[in-house]
Formats: sequence, structure tokens, C-alpha cells
Amino acid sequence: MIEKIRKLVVPLTIVCIVAALGLGFTYGVTRERISKQEKEKEAEACMEALPQVKTPRELKESKDLLNKAKKVISDSKVEIEKVFTSKKGIVFVLRSRGYGGMISLAIGISLIGEITGVSVISHNETPGLGANLENPKFRKQFIGKDKRSKLQLGKDIQALTGATFTSNGVVRGVKAALKIFDLIKGK
Amino acid sequence: MRAKISIFWVEFKKGFIEQNPLFKLLVGLCSALAVSTKVENGIFMGIAVIFVLVFSNAIIALIREKIPYDVRIPIFIVVIASFVTIVDLTLKAYFQPVYERLGVWIPLIVVNCIILARAEGFAYKNPVLGSIADGFGMGLGYTVVLLVMGVIRELLGTGKIVLFEKTIISLSHFNPPLIFIMFPGAFITFGCLMALLNRYEARKKG
Repeated sequence: MIEKIRKLVVPLTIVCIVAALGLGFTYGVTRERISKQEKEKEAEACMEALPQVKTPRELKESKDLLNKAKKVISDSKVEIEKVFTSKKGIVFVLRSRGYGGMISLAIGISLIGEITGVSVISHNETPGLGANLENPKFRKQFIGKDKRSKLQLGKDIQALTGATFTSNGVVRGVKAALKIFDLIKGK
Repeated sequence: MRAKISIFWVEFKKGFIEQNPLFKLLVGLCSALAVSTKVENGIFMGIAVIFVLVFSNAIIALIREKIPYDVRIPIFIVVIASFVTIVDLTLKAYFQPVYERLGVWIPLIVVNCIILARAEGFAYKNPVLGSIADGFGMGLGYTVVLLVMGVIRELLGTGKIVLFEKTIISLSHFNPPLIFIMFPGAFITFGCLMALLNRYEARKKG
């Protein structure tokens, strides 16, 4: 009995150990590059969302505002991740539920409360349909919108063809950002 | 030496038509139908699958005599999952845009039936060289189908083919039927190709 168990356990354990070593090594090699890429991507997205900002250094991450934002957010399909402030406006980095999971967005709002840009950091939407949210034409529709805008698909926002869930996800994110901005500014 | 090459060739070429994983064995369809919306996706997905297939087949064939029958499946899964994770991390680090486009389908290579089926059905019973050839051939067979489907679906569904941000072919004055890049289009394309292949083979046999 014990002999039989040993026969099964030993090879399996050895394979697992070797696999773990291999993975650890790969992780070690790629980790730095991955986190650097993610940071760069985020900075790039933030600058795209707030085009008045020219270098990443102008953006300052604010934990204080993030905590405030987390308190005022009421939509369970939106998660706020980071808030960057600058002299030109605020950028919210948030995740909103799309069709294939969460869509990570950077949404820029100018000091007067108008959307300056919406950019996509990462998403998992259907290629050819929801993935068209990468297309600037769709995202440009949000520029200039403020808290008084309706932000409804089919009215002031043209949805992506065949991707209502995705479009709704982006709209929801933008709405949340506008709401947070309004509430934070009011204080 | 010549015998070795011929074994390699036999195991290699069967994956294309005779035992094409998608058309003949009908395994790994899920990912193939999902990512074949773009030719470019097919290229990278194909490379990822070939890499995982070749290495998992090679390792499993190498240690096959030491693998106890009762725990062979867990061992296969550990080996396969390790290579998939390596691909996943590498793509994430060096090919960020591709990684994002293929999304969940890269980690899902772990459960792609082609790989487990080749490990269980071939590599566990055959020597290393043949297993490498088998993995390579099967992977290429899978890739070719992805490319053919990608060309058809991208061209018909979007009206153009974009490779590495360059438009290769563009159909002007053509209103692309969106259905081709949606899921029904995948089934239609796949079904038609399979029917054509079967017809061709039936004719050849006379």
C-alpha cells in the first residue's frame, strides 16, 4: 500500500518541483518588464485621457482622493483604482464591467468638469466587436460631455456595432467618473 | 539517420490533412473558432500552440517510462500548464498588444484538447523525436486552419485584412456582413471548410 503510494507521489512531486523551478525562473526574468510595461501603458493612457498633460511627471497619484472616491461610488459594476491629479484636471483609472470581463479605463476630466478623453488600458472584449472600443472614433464621442449630459446609447452616444455590453461598460465608467468628480469637487 | 528523418516526416505531415486536429480529430475547436477573427491572431495563437505542443510532447516522451499510469494525467497537466504559463508571461512581457488581443485564450491553451490528446495519445507511447515531429505537425495543422479561417472571416467580416498594422487587402464598395466575425460566422466558415475538405478527399478516393 505504502509502496504504491510512494510510486505515485514521488514522480508527481519531482515533476511539480521542476515545473515550479522553471516557472519561478521565467517569472523572475519577465517580472520587471511586465510591471514596467504596465506602468508605461497606464501613464500613456492617462496622458491620452488628459491631453493637456505632456509628461507623466505632471500627474500625481492621490490616495486621499481615491479613498473619497471609493466612498461615493455606488455602482457595483465599477471599481475605481487610481486617481491622478494635475493642474489641468483629474484622471480616474477605473474598471467597468464589459462583456468579457472588466474594462480598464483612464478617464480625464478638466477642471471645469468636462471629459477631456477616455482611453483604454486593458480589456478582454470580443475581437472584431467589443474590441473596437480601441477605435478612437467611439471614445471621442465622450469628449466635452459633463454631468448634465445624458450619456445614453442611441441618443448622444453611438454604441459600437454588435457590442452593446461593451459600450455600456464604457458609458458606465464615464458616468461614474463624472459623478465622483462632482462629489469630490463639492467638498 | 535516413530512417530518423523519415519517421520525423511521417509524424510531422499527418497533422496537416490526414489527422488535422481541427478538421479530422475535431479537438481544440473552442479556441480556433474564437480567435480566428483576425489573421494576425491566428499567427500568434498558432505559434503559442506549436511551442506548447512541441515542448510538452518532448518532455512527456522523454520521461514517459518514469510516469506511473495512475498519475499520468496530473503530470501531463503540470507539464502543459508550465509551458503555457511560460508563453503567457513571455507574451505579456515582450508582445503586450498581442497578449491583450488573445486575452484569455492563451491561458486556456492549458485545457486545449489538442495538447492533452497528443500527450496522452502519442507522446506517452512514442519516442522523443517522433513526439516532437507530431507536436510540430499538429501545431502547424492547427495554425494553417486558423490562418485560412482568419483570412475568410476577417476579409468577409471587416472588408479588409490588416497585418501588423498594415492593410494587406481591402475590398472597396463592399458592405461587410458582420456575422463573419461573430460566433455564427465561425461555425459557418468552419463547417463549409470541413465540407470542402471531405468532398476533396472523397473525390480523391474515387
